[in-house]
Amino acid sequence: MSDRFIRWCRSAAGVTILLSILLAVIATIDRGPYILVNTAITGGMLALVAVGLALLLGVMNVASFVHGEYFMIGTLVAYYVFTPLQNFLNTNPSPLLAMVAPLIAILAAAVAGAAAGALTEIMVFAPMRRRSRENWVMNSFLLTVGLAVLLINGHLLIFGADFKGIVRYWAGAPVTIMDVFISRDRLFAFLLSIIVILAFWVFMKTTRTGRAIRAVSQDETGSLMVGINLSAILIFTMALGCSLAAVAGASLLFLYPSYPTVGLEALYMAWFIVILVGLGNIIGALTGGFMVALLKVLTVEYIGSGWDFVVPTALIILVLIFKPSGIFGSEVRGVLDQ
Amino acid sequence: MLLEVNNLNAGYGFLQILWDVSIEIDVGEFVCIVGPNGAGKSTTMKTIAGLITPSSGQILFKGEPIHGIGGHRVTRKGIAFVSEEMNLFTNMSVQENLLMGAYILDDKSLIQRRMNEIYDIFPRLGERKSQLAGTMSGGERKMLAIGRGLMSDPALLMVDEPSFGLAPQLTASVFDALETLVQGGLTILLVEQNVTKTLSVTHRGYVLENGRIGLAGKSADLACDPHVRKVFLGV
Repeated sequence: MSDRFIRWCRSAAGVTILLSILLAVIATIDRGPYILVNTAITGGMLALVAVGLALLLGVMNVASFVHGEYFMIGTLVAYYVFTPLQNFLNTNPSPLLAMVAPLIAILAAAVAGAAAGALTEIMVFAPMRRRSRENWVMNSFLLTVGLAVLLINGHLLIFGADFKGIVRYWAGAPVTIMDVFISRDRLFAFLLSIIVILAFWVFMKTTRTGRAIRAVSQDETGSLMVGINLSAILIFTMALGCSLAAVAGASLLFLYPSYPTVGLEALYMAWFIVILVGLGNIIGALTGGFMVALLKVLTVEYIGSGWDFVVPTALIILVLIFKPSGIFGSEVRGVLDQ
Repeated sequence: MLLEVNNLNAGYGFLQILWDVSIEIDVGEFVCIVGPNGAGKSTTMKTIAGLITPSSGQILFKGEPIHGIGGHRVTRKGIAFVSEEMNLFTNMSVQENLLMGAYILDDKSLIQRRMNEIYDIFPRLGERKSQLAGTMSGGERKMLAIGRGLMSDPALLMVDEPSFGLAPQLTASVFDALETLVQGGLTILLVEQNVTKTLSVTHRGYVLENGRIGLAGKSADLACDPHVRKVFLGV
């Protein structure tokens, strides 16, 4: 056990994780515990989006550039579900409904995200897979870019370009943790991301379907040979990945109001993470979410808030030059082969 | 007949590999397909396993047509395929790979029983339950691939090139395991480069040349056939 631990510490993953923890501790001592709190909150949500992206890469071999749009769909659905509930509450106050209204909105977003993902697989990817699997990586990537343009402009056409946001999900005084004031919404967003990540982890590790998803990502022919219904798993994976992005979007609605290109930042951050940890590495994406969040928080803190895209991008360039398979190594052979 | 293949034509895209291939296998038989490289042995197996859709011809399993129904449904009908490249789940442990082999089974106690049986046949796997499949040696991976195929409790096991890339003594142990399985009542279809060894353990054989069945008969007779001796054994 200790032997394995030492070996892990010397691997690229171990070094990076330990270095991140060290950095976080130093920064916390230097500037105060709010660094840790901010990292945890941003990291949880980034991890949700990145895990979905990693799933699509690992299982479907799709380099998705439309993933941010499912985040957008999440914000949109949450807005249109939560606002009427809020208006209703203004005239008929009810503490119980006030408690559960945000949950209803987020749940609706999760369902809508899953439906949108399943529809995308059925209407876009499945027909293309039937047509030809030649040049799959490039073709599917181009399809996702086109789909992103379509969805962004669809939003613009139907819902307009205004910011559709809410002030807050939960009223009430902020909570104090480690001398840091955290709004209830932020705290809830963090808790939700942790719960969803844990549930997702347990699902992937212990259930039959979770194992089947991992099997498909590791060997598609092998998964057919053991009797896995590939098309059903692909639809389910797409629904799951998109649902995670929609949940992230919905629970961050108080921070990011819904507008056509709201998903782009989430998309870029998720790509930073999956490139950093290795394409399609699902477990790595969870850790990577917190590492990129820390990087963002530290950049804002020490360099300036305008730089929070520059530093991660510079890091990605370094990773691509020196360790192109990512610091955790990649499980995806298909993407790398082509 | 357990498996009947009638006038099968199949290939990849415009490249036709198999021409009017017909094979019959009865319950409990140990049948082999031998032939030179590129004759279409693996293609025959992949087509039966549903990984390739034939352009024409029929594949009947227990009297039901199974061609074109898709690879995962073929497995559910009771055919397990152990491919040459094994297609193991390399980032999963031995135990998880075996569990995946039992994906189509629902009965937990049956799965556990099958797993214990496989650990009995291949004690090496039992010693390495939690090792990742990708980190095992070639012989162990071959055993795991066969074990995974057996997990689904198949009526027919198809094994493609079990000796490929293995040391001679490992080859012998894989062949021993297959013989034990046949004695236990399993039907096996074997594709193998090692013609002498294969013809000495199997009951019947088909000789595939250029995508066509050239000869068929009892393995012992094939081993004495002048054409087979000339082409494969170099005598």
